[in-house]
Amino acid sequence: MPALRLTVLDPAGLHARPAAKFVKTASRFESRITITAGDRSADVKSLIALLVLTIRPGSQITLSAEGPDADEAIRALLEELGAAVEPVDTGVQPQTQP
Amino acid sequence: MVGLVLVSHSSLIAEGLRDMVAQVAGDEVPVACAGGTEDGRLGTSAPRIADAIRSTLDRGADFTLILLDLGSAALSLELALEEFDEADRARLRVSEAPLVEGAVLAAVQASIGASIDEVADAAAGAASMPKMPGA
Repeated sequence: MPALRLTVLDPAGLHARPAAKFVKTASRFESRITITAGDRSADVKSLIALLVLTIRPGSQITLSAEGPDADEAIRALLEELGAAVEPVDTGVQPQTQP
Repeated sequence: MVGLVLVSHSSLIAEGLRDMVAQVAGDEVPVACAGGTEDGRLGTSAPRIADAIRSTLDRGADFTLILLDLGSAALSLELALEEFDEADRARLRVSEAPLVEGAVLAAVQASIGASIDEVADAAAGAASMPKMPGA
């Protein structure tokens, strides 16, 4: 299962507008996509779950996907986030294909 | 595609909310406002609500979810619904959700091509959404 650890850089966190775009992008994929922040996680296809997660600037999130198009989904979401996040340097190779 | 009708006592609230909804959900979701009375006062108007509903159906909404603010909005909406025949009435759903949060959540759900049940469920979730989660 591809998973990606990221730090949120956007000073507003993942707030309503970007969260809505995130949901729309995620919904194009069949895979189940989960975002985890701390000990809580949310289905990326649910705006309410995403908003209740309250992803604040500086927080670390993990994006994971499970399903037939999991790699593409993670890539698309990472692209969507753009400069709002940076990968967490864990010293290990990321699990997704380049 | 599911459309939305925003019913408020204030045209400014309804139109401002339409702008917010368009920003998060894009332009493809048919959204119509019924804010204030015909003569521009605070209040609700059954004919304006009926017009708004009709405009969403005319713009290609298979179903329309109606969100309203409070008080007599429900009364005007009931009157407006009587304007529609059974076939059109079956395409309309009234949400219990709080107007602002409900509209935003519903619009995002509608914009991804969700069914009327999914859109109505998304709006309904707004009722229990904390204002300051984790605070």
